[in-house]
Amino acid sequence: MTTLPPPGEPRPLPPPPPTIDTENKRLDHGVNRCPKCGSTEIQLRPSVGMLVCLFCRHEWTEARLDETVANGDLSALQGTTVASGAADIDTGAGTLVTMKCAGCGAEVVVNTAGQMSARCHWCRHVLTVNEQVPNGAVPDAVLPFSITHADALAKITAFAAKRRMFANRAFLREFRPENVVGVYLPYMVIDSRASADVSGFGEIETRRYTRGTGNNKVTYYDADVYQVHRHVDFTVDDLTIEASAERADQNTSVNTNNVINTILPFDTENAVKWNASYLTGFTSEKRDQDVSHLVPALEHQLLSIARSEVAPSLGAYDRGVRWEQERLAVHGTRWLAMYLPVWLYSYHHVERGKGMVHYIAVNGRTGEVMGSVPVSHARLLVAALAVGTVVEAIVIAFLAAS
Amino acid sequence: MLTTILTAPVLPAPGVIAASQSNGELFLLAGPGGAALLYFTLWRYYRNTDKSHSFERETRIQAQPITGGDGKVSEVTGTRSKRIDGENGADHRERVQRLP
Repeated sequence: MTTLPPPGEPRPLPPPPPTIDTENKRLDHGVNRCPKCGSTEIQLRPSVGMLVCLFCRHEWTEARLDETVANGDLSALQGTTVASGAADIDTGAGTLVTMKCAGCGAEVVVNTAGQMSARCHWCRHVLTVNEQVPNGAVPDAVLPFSITHADALAKITAFAAKRRMFANRAFLREFRPENVVGVYLPYMVIDSRASADVSGFGEIETRRYTRGTGNNKVTYYDADVYQVHRHVDFTVDDLTIEASAERADQNTSVNTNNVINTILPFDTENAVKWNASYLTGFTSEKRDQDVSHLVPALEHQLLSIARSEVAPSLGAYDRGVRWEQERLAVHGTRWLAMYLPVWLYSYHHVERGKGMVHYIAVNGRTGEVMGSVPVSHARLLVAALAVGTVVEAIVIAFLAAS
Repeated sequence: MLTTILTAPVLPAPGVIAASQSNGELFLLAGPGGAALLYFTLWRYYRNTDKSHSFERETRIQAQPITGGDGKVSEVTGTRSKRIDGENGADHRERVQRLP
């Protein structure tokens, strides 16, 4: 067992968490009008990433969050900074938000679990949720879709087309890529400054030799064993972690959430200040995780990054390295909650009485696609047995000949 | 599980394997081994259960120069293993003992 050197100076108690106020003060709950004509018929135009008024065609966009929130130098990041949209969720706050329509005075209810706007049932105005309610539904920023429905449909179709031969037959019969849905999923985007130490053993081969004769030759190795210690100080910009407990569960034996994780990263530096009109026509999933819930996931990723960073310094150890201990000191973090755009095609497949939703996901910004297609075990089995039989026949013929 | 089913009928009995170390008999495992490998490879190509976000490479990271130390502590002689026991230098996500 190796031992890491003792930690450096004792760490002071963290100060109370400072907060960045990201609320879009220009917007309220309820009616938000086109700045040019006053219509509430506003939605995103993905091809240009702008909001468009469906009445007068005026286009505009909210300011990028990076331009309005002091980003600061990551190398000086200290303590825990949580933006107002990433604040802890009030467990008593429900998902239903009631807004008073400024057009007619009616009260309109929005279920923020999946929608951030609703049409007034009396006067037809569109009402949007813009104030940072304590239920986690309004994040600090939103990254608008730039991949259109048609683009996503083409990518999903191409992805599935490459996987036709051994796909489950029911999946192919029921494949309807036009049913792809645009969803804004909740993430925490975290800047971090950290230090890490790792220690273990590495081996360098010093001699290689064989003993025995004929078929009984055995190769032996001699090696020098070194105790290895590495230290790295680093900053990470915009590490992105799922802020929904359901999406964070990536147990591939029961779900396919890992394919949604795979289409990360997003260009989060282009996220804009919250405006619920960006979500009109799309669905959304509400954040249900606080900063404290996600600290273990963040620390796991920071340690993994540290291990990855020190790996190039291990080239001399041609027999490999075995790490045995690691230590992480997080000096500073800054947390922002964001809605990030994903096109999702989902298919519920039941096999031996066990259901699983298979996703094909497209990154709504980069177009990166990944998915899970249920297989036809019978077809796979036939292909495997056929190839195995041919290989075995060749081997037997070769052995008989020799 | 399915790979076990696949290989079970064509594998020689365990006693046969233990009794024979000749290359010729080991070659007989190529058929069932190839079948199992193909099955698993195709299954993973469709299901992508091994995929995840490569945050170690796809995130903006700025690291200071790596520091540390290396000291020879012992020697290994006459091992048949090609690699260090318990190698995890490239398994960045495998956690080891965490020190405070």
